[in-house]
Amino acid sequence: MVRKIIEDIRAFLKGFGGSFKEQSTEYIEFEERELENVFALILMGSFVGIPSPPTTLVVRLMPHMIKEMHVMQQRAINLDDIFGEIAGMFDID
Amino acid sequence: MREFLLPKEGFRAVFVIGKGGVGKTTTSAALATAIAKKGYKTLIVSLDPAHNLGDVFMVKLSDKPKELRENLYASELDMEKLIKGYLKHLEDNLKHMYRYLTVINLEKYFEVLSFSPGIEEYATLEAVRNILLDGDSWDVIVFDTPPTGLTLRVLALPRISLIWADKLIEIRKKILERRRMIAKVHGDRKFQLEGEEFILPKEEEEDPVMKELLEYRKEVEFVERVITDPNKTSVVAVMNPEMLPLYETERAYESLKKFQIPLNMIVINKVITVEREIPEIKVKLDAQKRVLEEIERKFPKTEIIKVPMFAEEPRGLEWLERLGGMVLEG
Repeated sequence: MVRKIIEDIRAFLKGFGGSFKEQSTEYIEFEERELENVFALILMGSFVGIPSPPTTLVVRLMPHMIKEMHVMQQRAINLDDIFGEIAGMFDID
Repeated sequence: MREFLLPKEGFRAVFVIGKGGVGKTTTSAALATAIAKKGYKTLIVSLDPAHNLGDVFMVKLSDKPKELRENLYASELDMEKLIKGYLKHLEDNLKHMYRYLTVINLEKYFEVLSFSPGIEEYATLEAVRNILLDGDSWDVIVFDTPPTGLTLRVLALPRISLIWADKLIEIRKKILERRRMIAKVHGDRKFQLEGEEFILPKEEEEDPVMKELLEYRKEVEFVERVITDPNKTSVVAVMNPEMLPLYETERAYESLKKFQIPLNMIVINKVITVEREIPEIKVKLDAQKRVLEEIERKFPKTEIIKVPMFAEEPRGLEWLERLGGMVLEG
């Protein structure tokens, strides 16, 4: 019985701590995603008509940009809900 | 003897620029011949797609340096071949990285890409970089360049590329910094896409994007360092005693100044000198006089050399040596 209680408390604390951990990096993760998005956007600028860096540089960087391009794609998909994401982050319902 | 045309620290690169048809090729060939005569191992390279360096020397040239006489070597870069080579390099890179894409016919795409804006400048810059990398094999490298517009864009490219690289490095550093902060709390993060799993790099040394950026920066910085170093690079502008080439030289001077590339000398080619007055060409001579006065006024600190209009075209080594002596010695 006592063991069960201790296990429950431990699980509760773990969940509590995990949630804190998640929250603690939420803003930084958002910022990181935005920077990755900007980085990919700059490289792909010519697609949307803004000047892009030298072709050589773009071609050299592109193969390593899987994550950033994925983020950029997701950003394009969720673009209409960007305020939703920010509101969620600040606990605004 | 003009010191800025001779090697000081290692080799010396001399860029001969000017409007189309003013005599850049003749002047650069003459300079190279005269410098070689002084005992410096000299290479003259024509970057102009409309090659006529071979015509001036009266020999057939290729992209491999050909020895014309003791210490004098000449080559003409085949721009078409260079662009193809440059694109082939990019294509190999792409094919290597995106192996699964080989089913798509990339050749077709690259055929069109060769007409893309800017490709010629990048290919020219790549060629200049390769020649400069091998610079220590020579004492002096004379570049006979395409007309001013293209040359200025090529010379501006290293600085522009550096600005781009620096900006991207700055953003990348911020990304990596955030990744490190997150990793401290959550540990190494994995990223999954279509079944494949990657560990997100968080240190500069392990991030392939950062490595490429730094490598690219290093390559471009080398060219930038050489062309902005007054001990390594000199620019000679060639013009005719007419108003339009003067305006172009002025613009070139301003652009070069912006990119901190030194313009050391202006060669005024085809100056008409007459012993007695000829009424039929008086208007032309008056105009020439005005331009000459204007040049002295506008470029007080730059060396100005006047080369007379010769009765016959200066072609062949002997002629070039005489002409080059005038430019080199003053």
